[in-house]
Order: sequence, then structure tokens, then C-alpha cells
Amino acid sequence: MGSSIQRLDPDREVPEEAYDVDVVDMDFHVNPVEEELRAYVEDDRALDRLTTEFGMWPIPDKWDAAYAIAEGNEGLFTQGRAEDAEDVRQACEKFAIDEPIVNCALNMLPHQHHPVLKNAVLEAGNSYMLDHFVDEGVPTAMSIAKWDVDAALSELDRWGDEDGVAAVYSWFDPREPWGVEKFDPVFEKLEDLGLPLILHGSLAFWPQHSYIGDEMLTWTEVLGLDWPIHGMVNTVNMIMRGVFDRYPDLNVVFQEAGHWWLPFVRYRMDEFYEMHPEDIQITPRKFEDGEHYLEKAPSEYLRENIYVCTQPMALPRRAGEAKSLLNLSMAQDTFMYSSDWPHQTLDPPTWFFTSRAFRDDEDLRNAVLHQNARDILRL
Amino acid sequence: MSVETTQIDGTEYTKVAEVDEIENGRGIAVEIDGIEVAVFNADGEFYAISNRCSHQHAPLCKAGEKKINADHTWTESRGGVNAEECTVSCPWHLWEWDLETGENEASGQRIATFDVVVEGDDIYAQV
Repeated sequence: MGSSIQRLDPDREVPEEAYDVDVVDMDFHVNPVEEELRAYVEDDRALDRLTTEFGMWPIPDKWDAAYAIAEGNEGLFTQGRAEDAEDVRQACEKFAIDEPIVNCALNMLPHQHHPVLKNAVLEAGNSYMLDHFVDEGVPTAMSIAKWDVDAALSELDRWGDEDGVAAVYSWFDPREPWGVEKFDPVFEKLEDLGLPLILHGSLAFWPQHSYIGDEMLTWTEVLGLDWPIHGMVNTVNMIMRGVFDRYPDLNVVFQEAGHWWLPFVRYRMDEFYEMHPEDIQITPRKFEDGEHYLEKAPSEYLRENIYVCTQPMALPRRAGEAKSLLNLSMAQDTFMYSSDWPHQTLDPPTWFFTSRAFRDDEDLRNAVLHQNARDILRL
Repeated sequence: MSVETTQIDGTEYTKVAEVDEIENGRGIAVEIDGIEVAVFNADGEFYAISNRCSHQHAPLCKAGEKKINADHTWTESRGGVNAEECTVSCPWHLWEWDLETGENEASGQRIATFDVVVEGDDIYAQV
């Protein structure tokens, strides 16, 4: 016989304990509608070209992932569409998120063709974010172009000092990795400003018209594995080319690049580097600086300069296995919680309260849920 | 909320809601002795199923809730009830659960379902 019954609070979607812990969400997307964004495009020529209907999409696109989702591309808005600060606050209340780091989610820009138009849209997005979020007290990750370093620096000059800008947002993709020396002025500026560089997966997936890219037909391959591979490539490229020896205070956060690859990369890098390190001296930064080796073991840069967002967490069901994997991943120093609101891969902070791997380790839980983020964000 | 029960064919059922408390296409959730039960209205038929999606513990009772700025999206709700298919899809990741069997076809996983009877304006579930 039932001895107690109560109606559940429909406004709370995660365990009650989540509301007692500080939760910083590193990846909360807002999505201004196109008409709103247009008002912020400053150049009339760019606006004219952006708003003229040309028929077919300018370049072949690859978003096969939508075929896997019951609602197709609508999956990108499974939870809705946040357009202003009040929308964000309303969404966060359901998931016990205290501090959402919002971004404009223009993730289709890197694979578009025309640099002038890309820059115009990116700048419009940042202006929108300044008006609707930074000025409303919502910590914001502002976007910079990966395809145009001068434009990136110009944007950093425009809003880099603004209170409320908590981080800088750009993308990793299958093109030039971030270890390339042309990005040094950006790194230098970010160090000066005290802003971390967030790198989100872009909709530029594995190159089309390649044997592998064209045969990746499923969401599991495209979003599940393509992005992590590029995340690994970018991480190792930055470490081995000496980015963090030259910019030791630079912090880089990968979003949607997966996180369980950290043990593999950690041990693999150290093994290969320590076995045969004689090529380090001829990487451009080291060559220019007359240095022979990295200053530390590669895995130490992974621990100190690289962070990975956890969405989707995909935690092993057995707490012991989860705990081991978290330890091998150096999660207390490298993991950051992210929800990915409002997308089909939404990851509310349930794991931290349903798995013993976190329930039994408050320090670990706090590090992932807020401390690592607060240590590097400019809040 | 006090516990109200009724006996049907020698089996005890617990009152979970009144008919007009659950609009068509939506659900509510109650906790009975620690067990979370979601009750849905699918075109006037009522179904009770575990309130927690086995994937990430999402509260299924939220299925069908209107999205934030739904006017600017293509579908209005977060998951929802499909009366014709007798299913509910999860508000977080759209996992689809059979309201009669509790089965998710894609994963082969199953969550609990509960017998429901309606007497007058009252909905009862056997938990």
C-alpha cells in the first residue's frame, strides 16, 4: 500500500542536490534569429549580399547528422531558442545552472566560402551579444575568426576589455590546426587580456571529396568521432609546436571534442616524445628561439593548459570504472561541465549526483562543475 | 497530497490525478513511496510510466512542454506524446518510449509501466 504520495515540481529537471552546488556551464548557445542579426551588419555591401536570395546554398554542405535525429535539423533547437538574457535565465533554472557562459553559436561560419561575408556575420553576432548579454550581466564568450587573424585581433581590440566578456570563442576544424605560428599574435593578445580561448567544433567536418569523409554516413561517426579526432590533432599540434612554452598562461578549452581520449593522448605523447624528441628543435617556434626540447613532458601541458568540456559525459555505469577513467583523464584538472543547451546533445548536470564516482568525491565534482571554469574565465 | 486508494478486482490502485488536471498531449508526475510515475493523456486515454528516461534520468513528465521562443523553431514542444503510436518522446533527447510496454525500440531498453484505471473524474495507477 502506498503510504506517501506527492506531486513533483515540474520546473526542476535535475536532482535537488544540484541546486545546492555552484554550476558553471561552459557551453550555452544562444541563437538570434536572422532578422535580428541583420540589424547589426554594419557594411551595406555585405548586408546586400547576405540578404539577396541566390537559390542553392553556395557550397556543398555536409550535415548528414540531421538524418539521425527524429526531428532532423530541428534537433538543434530541441530545447528552444534563447534570444535574450531572460530566456537564458529561464532555461538555466530547470537545470540548476548558476553561471551560463553564453556564445552566439555561429558554428556554420568556418565552412562558408567568403571571408568578407564571414567576418561581417561574426562581427554582427558579437555586437548582438554585447547588447543582449554582456550589457545584461550574462558572462559571454565572444567570437573571433580563425580564418582571418587580422580580423580576430581587430575584434579583440573592439571588445576585449569589456566587463562581462568571460572568454573568447572560436572553432577547431579539419583545416590548419591552432599550433600554426600565424596564430601567435592572437595568443599574445589573449594572454594580455586574461581570456581563455574556447574552441568549439565547427560544422566543417572531415573534408568532403575525401575517401574517409565521403563514406562517413552516420551521426555516430560524423559528430561522435570526427570532432574528437580533430580535437586531439589540435591539442597535440599546439603542445608539440611549443605554443605553451611561448605562452604559458594561455588556456585552451575544447568543446564537443570529447574527453575520454585524454588518457590515450597523455601517455601516447609522452612515450613518443621521450623516445625520439630530436625534431622539436626544428619546429618553427623552437627553431627561432634556439631551443632544443619542450620545457616539460607533453602531458604536463595537457594538464595545465588544456581543458575539455564534458558534454556528452557518457560516464561508465559502474562507478569504479568511471572513477578510474576520471583519474586517468586528470579530470580534476582538465574537465569542465557543459550543457550544450539547446541542442539534441543536451547534457544536464545529472551525472554529478547520480554516479558514486562524483557523489563520493566532492573535490572532483566541484572542480568539474565550477572550479576549473572559475580558475580560467575572466569573471 | 494525501494517499487515496481504491480496490479493483482485489488489487489496490492509488489515485494519481484527476482527469482535468492533465491536458491532452501532456503529463504530470507523482512520487509514490519513492517511485516516480508519469501519467500522460493521449487523446483521452491515460497511461502511467516511469518518470525517468533510462538514458539520462530526464523527467518524462515534461514531454510536450512548449519550447522557449517556440515561434522561432519548427516544432513547438520538447518531445511529446504521440497518441496514434501510443508513445512518449523524452524532452531531452527524444528517446521514444512505448506507453503500453515501456520499451525503447532502438536500444531495447525497457522502463516500468503501470496499469491505469479511470473512475469518474479520478485517475488511479497500480504501483
